[in-house]
Amino acid sequence: MGNARINNRIRRLRFDHDEMTQEELASRVGCTRQTIIALEQGKYVPSIELAFRIARAFGVTLEDVFQYE
Amino acid sequence: MAPLQKRAWYGLAIGLVFAIALLLVFMVKGGISTFTEDTGFRVIISVLWVGGLAANLILVNLTLRKPGLVDERDRLIMDRAPRVQWLAVIFSLVAWTITLTEVYWEQGEIPVIFLYLIFMSILIVGTLAQSLGILIGYWRANRYG
Repeated sequence: MGNARINNRIRRLRFDHDEMTQEELASRVGCTRQTIIALEQGKYVPSIELAFRIARAFGVTLEDVFQYE
Repeated sequence: MAPLQKRAWYGLAIGLVFAIALLLVFMVKGGISTFTEDTGFRVIISVLWVGGLAANLILVNLTLRKPGLVDERDRLIMDRAPRVQWLAVIFSLVAWTITLTEVYWEQGEIPVIFLYLIFMSILIVGTLAQSLGILIGYWRANRYG
């Protein structure tokens, strides 16, 4: 339980979506660019709401963005 | 740098400038004995600390009210800042208590004016520590996640 980790594919998905910038994604999901940076570096686990907003911004499901290992 | 982090740096800088200005005015004007007797001196000190607190309050409130400047990660960091505030306030009170007890032990009483000074200093320390707590929060979040 303690070793569980939530990974994400945000960086990959950004590039797959016409190289969407961090700033653009941040503005679409309603957070700061620094939060997107922290998410991509795996230094922040978002709330369920933000996670859904990110998935929606890419037009994919939550599991396509976040993986629980 | 996140907008809240930037504001915390400004808040810390403003707070330190006002705190140093207060100490300088206090020392230059002659300390406790003059403070008790000179109304003008008390007005200058009051304007300085109320002004400093108001400037900080306006700065933080402006950041919090603007949409899009503060998100859930910032709020999480901000919510943890009171831990630093609490420690800073406790240590300040301990310092005041030990110092005043040692200095006025022989006299057996402490001048009433210290109530005002303790209150003023605790408000300043609390405000400074809030900015410091936010900055420590960002540092920890960037380092450890």
